[in-house]
Amino acid sequence: MFYIHDIACISPQKTFSEIDIEHLNCPVGGKLPAIEPAYEGIPLNILRRMGKAVRMGVGAALTIAKQNAQGIIIGTANGGMEDCIRFLNQVIDYNEGVLTPTNFVQSTANAIASQIGLLTSNRGYNCTHVHRGLAFENAVLDTAMLLSENPSHRYLLGGIDEISAYNYNIEFLDGWFKKEKVAGKSLYQANTKGTIAGEGSVMLLAGKHANGASAQLMAIRMLHADDEQYIAGELKGFMAEHVSDAGDIDLFLSGENGDARLQKYYDACEAVLYKNVPVAHFKHASGEYATVTAFALWLACQAFQKQSLPQHFLKYRRAKKDFRKILIYNNYHGMQHSFMLIAKV
Amino acid sequence: MSRIFVTGLGIISAVGHNVEANRHSLVNKKPGIGKATFLSTKYAAALPFGEVDISTPSLKEKLNAFEKGTTRTSLLALHALDEAIKDSKLTDEELHSPRTALVGADTVGGMCLTDELHHDANKHEQGSEYLASYDCGSATLYLRDRYQIGGIVNTINTACSSSANAIMYGARLIHHGLAERAIVGGCDSLAKFTINGFNALHILADEACRPFDENRKGLNLGEGAAFLVLEKEGLVTNDHIYAELSGYGNSNDAFHASSLSDNGEGPLLAMKEALMAAKLPAGEIDYINAHGTGTENNDEAESRAMIRLFGQVPLFSSTKAYTGHTLGAAGAIEAAYSILSLYHGEVYPGANFSKPMAATGLLPVTVYLKKELRHVMSNSFGFGGNCSSLIFSRA
Repeated sequence: MFYIHDIACISPQKTFSEIDIEHLNCPVGGKLPAIEPAYEGIPLNILRRMGKAVRMGVGAALTIAKQNAQGIIIGTANGGMEDCIRFLNQVIDYNEGVLTPTNFVQSTANAIASQIGLLTSNRGYNCTHVHRGLAFENAVLDTAMLLSENPSHRYLLGGIDEISAYNYNIEFLDGWFKKEKVAGKSLYQANTKGTIAGEGSVMLLAGKHANGASAQLMAIRMLHADDEQYIAGELKGFMAEHVSDAGDIDLFLSGENGDARLQKYYDACEAVLYKNVPVAHFKHASGEYATVTAFALWLACQAFQKQSLPQHFLKYRRAKKDFRKILIYNNYHGMQHSFMLIAKV
Repeated sequence: MSRIFVTGLGIISAVGHNVEANRHSLVNKKPGIGKATFLSTKYAAALPFGEVDISTPSLKEKLNAFEKGTTRTSLLALHALDEAIKDSKLTDEELHSPRTALVGADTVGGMCLTDELHHDANKHEQGSEYLASYDCGSATLYLRDRYQIGGIVNTINTACSSSANAIMYGARLIHHGLAERAIVGGCDSLAKFTINGFNALHILADEACRPFDENRKGLNLGEGAAFLVLEKEGLVTNDHIYAELSGYGNSNDAFHASSLSDNGEGPLLAMKEALMAAKLPAGEIDYINAHGTGTENNDEAESRAMIRLFGQVPLFSSTKAYTGHTLGAAGAIEAAYSILSLYHGEVYPGANFSKPMAATGLLPVTVYLKKELRHVMSNSFGFGGNCSSLIFSRA
């Protein structure tokens, strides 16, 4: 589909400038907040007005957007949720009084893509996908289509979502976060419903040429369904279409998140793979959010580059030769599923 | 590359609950801007709106849509989608096929329930029934569930150009062989959130909006939904083809978070790209359904962009004087109007216009015209500089 030329990640772990994912930051109060770097290249008067999602998106983008992308494609389920509710609170608290528009303008989901366009004077294709747990996947597909239309172009592709106190409350009330405290890998042993909240921003430069690329996105598939056997069947089909030998997968990156209600999907997909395929999970490090597969993609690129992963990511400690092909499976709230196949270049 | 045909339409707006009623209002120059009846806001008396004249409970009744957590935004979407599916005579088998995509768009989502959202977001107690209904994806996911649509599903939010981009994305899925049919469109409902947001930006008019008029005072917010059924050439067995989607363009103005550059660079690039995709010289465009919000900034920037591109600007008008600015639905509603224009060979008059802008002197069409049209352009520009342009041609 396309090659990944450069990738940047702001997450709850040390993933941005000096990368150290051996040491694990643990959640506080059920949340894994992203570590924000000192942002360079964003004028202070503009930075001050940005909400966290916009800051993280623009901050990660600016490190790689210097390389002249022909367009910007962003996946974000909620965009600037914090700004959104802050503005909403003003509407209610001041009974629709005189308000300043800053939070309103920052709250629209397309604020991230448009701010990147503005700061890099990019007048190319610009689109924001907001389809909840498949927002990033649709952005990936959009990028793949663009590159097939314009093979000489490069595009900036990103996945961003933030934890806001407000959407945490809403999703907590809806049963998606754990009531009890969990830290590190105990997340996967809890056997209760819900998970921990996370946030982050991953930006990458996508192109059609292998030269200088670190990884290749081979295939993507999105599904809406709630039957785990159907999902497993679709994974079988996906593998048959894109992998010549099922034993050829070097790592299965599972999006399992400790929510007992969703484990059946991950188990069913794991069962499709050969028994000796190593399995890793990552949500104890990233937390759960709608565009978290962008983090999984970054982690896969790390595995290719380092040819190893810290032990805490591995679910089954099986010895491994080297990483050449990685399969990511994720599902969001049990209804939205995706497979992504990535290969080392 | 195979051609893409429009084989079904569905619209609900302030000027009608279906395609025929909308067309009737446009032909007879009957705008739907006025006093809001169902909307709860402090500004209900002071500002005019383009409200769909049916209450949310009546919509639920009419659509037999009593699922928990269904919002007005989702109901408007369902109303238009249902009409488009019936119009195109899609079977259940076709809807469930993995080759049928659904691409929705909206900017407000379930935030029309401002008070419920305020409660759920701020308090750790019993949540409302709408906990999973606030985000933009919720409306599309509701439609997917309801019809069990089997292919790729997506939701786009590029502010006021959202549904133009949904149409474009659906068409590209077909061109790339990822779908053979795409149901595309958008929806939004009036919300305290957007009313106060636009009001804080001082761009809401306290009178019916006057697109392209020298003395325009701003926009009126509206609500509604529209969906189009796009089908790949060769697949279409019925003779019910409205038009061909022949070109589209997307560009960013990269100028300001909430206003367009003075000379309309983004709008110009989007229109140019759409012409290139359609392989048409500018002179072939017979009519433009302009973005024309009625704000000082948009109408002048759009006018300048049209002058720069066309020199002699083709017939144009803005139907926002009828529906108000329906945000996430606007691109799809206006695409549907553009298709009706082509299909029936008629140009819909702009309303509330009296004096051309001193800066450009452009005159929009103000009377209903019967005219053979070959190519019609539909413009949509949004906050964040998100500009898109679509071209529909006679099939």
